[in-house]
Amino acid sequence: MPETETPLTTEVFDQLQQAMAADRAGFTELYREYLADAWHTLELLREAAPQGGEEVRQRAHYLRSSSLVLGAHKVARMAATLEENARASVSTDDNALDRIAEALREVQAELAERLGNGVIPADKTAA
Amino acid sequence: MAATSIRVVIADDHPVVRVGLRNMLQADPAIRVVGEARDGVEALELARSLRPDVLLLDLAMPNVAGMEALREMTAGNLDTHTIVLTGLIDKRQVLEALQLGARGVVLKDAAVEHLSACIRAVMQGQYWLEGRPVQNLVQVLRDLTAQTAPAPRKTFGLTARELEVVALITEGCTNKDIAKTFGISEETVKRHLTNIFNKLGVGNRLELALFALNHSLLPVGEGN
Repeated sequence: MPETETPLTTEVFDQLQQAMAADRAGFTELYREYLADAWHTLELLREAAPQGGEEVRQRAHYLRSSSLVLGAHKVARMAATLEENARASVSTDDNALDRIAEALREVQAELAERLGNGVIPADKTAA
Repeated sequence: MAATSIRVVIADDHPVVRVGLRNMLQADPAIRVVGEARDGVEALELARSLRPDVLLLDLAMPNVAGMEALREMTAGNLDTHTIVLTGLIDKRQVLEALQLGARGVVLKDAAVEHLSACIRAVMQGQYWLEGRPVQNLVQVLRDLTAQTAPAPRKTFGLTARELEVVALITEGCTNKDIAKTFGISEETVKRHLTNIFNKLGVGNRLELALFALNHSLLPVGEGN
């Protein structure tokens, strides 16, 4: 793992922000939706983890997908590991999910710094 | 909006991805997103009904998976150019996608940087791989085929008969069994074994069996 890995890839964020320059509210909304969806997926992953298998693989892929597009590459990398492990029938431990949660909190904090607290999903304002 | 916009359909099961890609593409005046599909079935329906210039296709979608959708698109002789969106480069998958008619492959984490350029390149008749237009598709296909082909079985200098002997040793056959199988004397089997031990640097049958398993010395289908 690169030690300098940042929670949010600046190039992706900046280019996307530039692309959506005319719709600043929409840009914030996009990242708010990402965060809400990512937290929800993480909950579903915790539920599915004891059984493992295909559901974990699909959920992890889902999380990786949006994280890649929106520049949350650390979360994406961790989700990719989860996906690969599920494909190889390696069980998912809580620590792995805790680490993803931590990475997601970092993304959220970074986004709040850049876009304001409005980017944080309503039920995660205390996270 | 340009009069000759490139009409694009986005197919990805993740709504945030679709919104992200749509917003990226809307920044390019030459591109117009005309539809969004949540799975492979919708992707095919939209490709047939909207006849877009370009279909951005996620490979891992529910219902009909991206690769299957691509296969059906090709079979249906649609004019749409398909660009595959993927989270990671799996050379085997890339090769299959190209063989099925995909015109480009874009990594999701590079979408912001490359997607518009890829769409334009593909519309100009080019292929797009690894973040740039492909000049020589034949060479790319040849390279991918070589990279995805199974590695040739190493024989460590063993003759065909010696390899056969190794296979039988790993099955637990005695010298007598081997002699009987090949219609040779036990002395000849011993000679083969001595040669095998010398070539592989092993000291006994157990070491030989382990070596064979660890170095994929057995014919496919054996020793697994």
